[in-house]
Amino acid sequence: MSPVAAPPAPPVSPMLVRLAAEKATGALLRDHGTLYLVDGRVVHAESPAAPGVDVLLTTGGRLPREGWDEAVDRAGAHRAVGRFLVDSGRLHDGELEICHLGAVFDAAFFALSPTSGPTRFRYGVGHWFGTVRPVSAEAVERETVRRRELLDAVWPYASVDNAPVVPRPAAPGQTVGARQRALLAAADGERTPAELARLLGRPAFHTLLDVRRLAAAGLVETPPEPAPDSVPPPPLPLPALPVADPDIALLRRLRDALEAHL
Amino acid sequence: MANTETSLKDAAAIDGAVGAALVDYTSGMALGTIGGSKELDLNVAAAGNTDVVRAKVRAMEMLGLGDEIEDILITLGRQYHLIRLLKSQGTNGLFLYLALDKDRANLAMARHQLKKIATELQV
Repeated sequence: MSPVAAPPAPPVSPMLVRLAAEKATGALLRDHGTLYLVDGRVVHAESPAAPGVDVLLTTGGRLPREGWDEAVDRAGAHRAVGRFLVDSGRLHDGELEICHLGAVFDAAFFALSPTSGPTRFRYGVGHWFGTVRPVSAEAVERETVRRRELLDAVWPYASVDNAPVVPRPAAPGQTVGARQRALLAAADGERTPAELARLLGRPAFHTLLDVRRLAAAGLVETPPEPAPDSVPPPPLPLPALPVADPDIALLRRLRDALEAHL
Repeated sequence: MANTETSLKDAAAIDGAVGAALVDYTSGMALGTIGGSKELDLNVAAAGNTDVVRAKVRAMEMLGLGDEIEDILITLGRQYHLIRLLKSQGTNGLFLYLALDKDRANLAMARHQLKKIATELQV
């Protein structure tokens, strides 16, 4: 006997599923962003929470800002900016696809975040960037669910997602990778993960994931979840002991988790 | 110039290939997959192998060798799993993942071909 399969999870957006089934073309407008469909497949996505393709390409130095602006000026009206970037030799085919796909899944993650606001669909509306590589609505749904689960598996405190990123001193012997080091260096105690993503020219989800990983390692503060009725007590001052215990990161995580539950 | 689809098709055409994926190893997302089977879900493999790559990248940084990972080989009883890291300009690392049937594959040849595909993709 095979085990009974779990019932399929409810779709992230029932409207997206329906539009995909009817092979609709247009723009799906939600509270936190917009998805553009062509024949029921997702060709573009935008969200105020996620840096656009322009930021990803120009901040990293891959493309000068003027090169981007010229492409928009010359090809925006024909909805073929992406194509123009390749045809004019500014980007290679693979680079454009990889960068654009990354931006689409990134924006879609935020656009599809749970919302109580209205969802509307404008038939026939296209995006000036043009079609690069359409992805199925199902793939976008699946990836969005996977990303939500991944964030919570890393550090299940969503309070770090929108709060200013406040670094904490590393434990003796604790190391971080180059990418996370750059993030910590840019965290001035005021910038939120979304602002850091824009500043560093990285996808917003990747930045969120790094922030959650850093919080789990005790290298970034985890702000307390908003308590329903009581004011959280001030955190106890901990004596700074010169401990060289390699498990200090684990202990910090434990403490943070306990504090978050207070 | 190679795009992701031709790169994956080229990878799938390597002798003994069972499936291939192009993976963003910060997020664990497969940007594209080809092949696979009921036994080998490439989206699951993409996310899982992300942890392999992240662990090795971390180990390399701790060792401070000042070198880079070119590829990672995992040998199973019936398969080879090859991971080829792409040199990218951005901060988001990518790798090509290739699963090979051990009986039908020529490992040295497959490694060489995968290197060529990765080079063409990253230009």
